[in-house]
Amino acid sequence: MKPDERSFRIALVADRYLNPPAGGLDGLAVLAEAGWGVLQLPTGDYPAELAARILAEVAEQLEEFSRHGYDFVVVGECDGLPGALAAVGLAVPDQITPSSTADLLDFLTARPAPPASSWSWLPADDPAEDATAGRE
Amino acid sequence: MAVAFVAHCLLNQNSKVGDGAHCSGVYSPIVDVLRRKGWRIEQMPCPELGFTGLNRFWAVREQLDTAGYRRHCQRLAATVADVIGLRAGQGEDIVLIGVEGSPSMGVRITSSDPSRGGRPEWPEGVGEHTAGEGVFVEELRLELERRGLAYPRVAGETHALAGHDEETQREQLEAVLDNSP
Repeated sequence: MKPDERSFRIALVADRYLNPPAGGLDGLAVLAEAGWGVLQLPTGDYPAELAARILAEVAEQLEEFSRHGYDFVVVGECDGLPGALAAVGLAVPDQITPSSTADLLDFLTARPAPPASSWSWLPADDPAEDATAGRE
Repeated sequence: MAVAFVAHCLLNQNSKVGDGAHCSGVYSPIVDVLRRKGWRIEQMPCPELGFTGLNRFWAVREQLDTAGYRRHCQRLAATVADVIGLRAGQGEDIVLIGVEGSPSMGVRITSSDPSRGGRPEWPEGVGEHTAGEGVFVEELRLELERRGLAYPRVAGETHALAGHDEETQREQLEAVLDNSP
């Protein structure tokens, strides 16, 4: 069984970088290459009430990661994000509105190792042996 | 426009239960197919993350099938159904991509063991995968039915299943994506 390969790094990503328009910067490809997980932010096309609900759910999930020392960044901009994060006691993480693939990659690779990466419930030399239970 | 509603962990393996992250972040075998075929991606929330947290044990469906967890899933499913309704109203083709074997996100295969509970030890090799949906997927389907919205075509990431084969997974995903009405 392979060990858990998570990166403990998560980017909150504006929709235009996850579903880029033709010729737009493909942020998802850069994040995948750099090994970051993604939390998608709602597109600006959605009704304000729906976008606010999605942002509240994003913030709720980020709160759990925050409690465990994961690293976060924001890629792009999203109206309502600061308020949603404040509602769960979180500040807006370091943010970039990248102008190029290299710009984004440099920003991501310059981050220090997150506190959680040196901590795990999984002993590094003793992977779980009973590998049969249901997993999401 | 075509829109794939994907399980949260397909874009963020950090949300997985311990020992379950197959890669560092984005699960490319699914995402790459969607991008290549021009599908828009909508990430669903991870129902287990917000309810049982990052230190949760691996679980089967019966352990998560509680009134409280169903209410939690219903709340999340209502938001996803709102977005599906919005997209469907614009005439967009929609698929739902879950995680086979998951007690929450399975679309055709979930995990079941009615006897599991208590001290978290069980015999190695117990096969808990069974035909069925995870709790969240079931609640999303019910919510769409209540609204009179069509249930999307479904596909699943199969990494947790015995005999997982990336090529087969890709072929099954492509078949679902290409089978537009």
